[in-house]
Amino acid sequence: MTSSPILDRVSAIAADVLQVPASSLSLQSSPETVESWDSVRHLDLVLALEQAFHLQFEPEEIDQMKNVECIVDILSAKAPKR
Amino acid sequence: MAISIAPYTADWIPAVKAFNQRMAAGGVGAEFRFPESNIPHWLPEFDGRTIYQRYYLAVDGEQVRGAFILKYQEFRLGQDPAKIVYYHLPLSEGIVNKSYSSVGVLMLRSALKMEPSLYCLGMGGFDRPLPTMLKALRWSMCAVPFYFHVEHPSRFLQEVQPVRGTPLRRLLADAGAFSGLGWLAIHALQTIRSTRPLLEATAEPIVNFDDWADALWARCAQHYPLIASRESRVLNVLYPAGKSFLCYKVSRGNDLIGWFVALDTQMKDNKYFGNLRIGTIADCLAIPENAGAVIEAAQAVLTNRRVDLVVANHSHKGWGSAFKAAGFFEGPSNFIFAASTGLSDRLGPFPEVQHQIYLMRGDGDGPVNL
Repeated sequence: MTSSPILDRVSAIAADVLQVPASSLSLQSSPETVESWDSVRHLDLVLALEQAFHLQFEPEEIDQMKNVECIVDILSAKAPKR
Repeated sequence: MAISIAPYTADWIPAVKAFNQRMAAGGVGAEFRFPESNIPHWLPEFDGRTIYQRYYLAVDGEQVRGAFILKYQEFRLGQDPAKIVYYHLPLSEGIVNKSYSSVGVLMLRSALKMEPSLYCLGMGGFDRPLPTMLKALRWSMCAVPFYFHVEHPSRFLQEVQPVRGTPLRRLLADAGAFSGLGWLAIHALQTIRSTRPLLEATAEPIVNFDDWADALWARCAQHYPLIASRESRVLNVLYPAGKSFLCYKVSRGNDLIGWFVALDTQMKDNKYFGNLRIGTIADCLAIPENAGAVIEAAQAVLTNRRVDLVVANHSHKGWGSAFKAAGFFEGPSNFIFAASTGLSDRLGPFPEVQHQIYLMRGDGDGPVNL
């Protein structure tokens, strides 16, 4: 997985929320590939990311969070607006 | 395809049916089927009506991936009218297909965007998925206390499932039921706990709520920091004549002091109440000082109908004290109230206000399962 500051932070947060090793996550990691990634954990992940990045996601952005790569893309797009 | 929230129109009925079928195929129980009509059977929206429901769908192209209901109702918050909205029956395909894990959050966030002052009620306990989600969102939550009074101790011991949870408890309950010791013990406990003098209230059956109910509402609303409107125009919609609601007004001498709505239901293999006949005080209203008289009147009506057990949920501390003074026991409650952060901010410090707000089984989605 190519490293970037946002990706590293997302991986660390996702690993913590989903209770999996960060090394097991890739850009393509998603609810379909990570067993613990259910609806409640998805919310936990959204909230943890909002807290860490000091922002709030719009409902449509939450829908776009299909996998780690999408999350990084959304955060990359939002970050400069802050 | 991006998922978006859309009002439920007739065009979506086939997609809702397909959604229900996918949920059922995934093992979701029949009680979690979304209505297959876009017009609510209960509380449809009419011009001029202040209490109504709207259905919303989470749509993905031509498919439905989730759904929820918003119930709009006027409340009194402090001294002011307020629009506070009940969020219920949220269903997400994420339950059966993890590709849609985001739908639950998406729906809740969308509902909050539409109506920041949301609440949930019921939900079956703190450990269920929705309360877990609400807790993560920092909603304020509390259980609405549950009160019960045993009218027929032998049948209570034979039927109430939580009392009969283990073989030993079943043996003891049966022994108590058949020997008469159970009757003696429960009767003695309820009598000892009943601390108030007879309040000599009389109950008169009513067909409709009228001006007298509005006058009572005007006197009562100010006593409760959060209470759903209990004006006659609302009550006649919630508790229409010709249904199974037992509606009474309560007087002491010539003074009208309150009203109550009760239900008399024969349970059948109910997971909590077995085959008991349950009398429910579903809704009522009085100033806190007259709570005991209204409870006494409701209990008398239900006892005369020969129910086995009288039950009620009530969030207000003063009413709780009145139930206990009438000999009611407080039991475990899975009837949960949750207030969004937007609503909590308007309410004030939740630990202080949670015992003063006014919620009963008639609130939320009404006295269902009773």
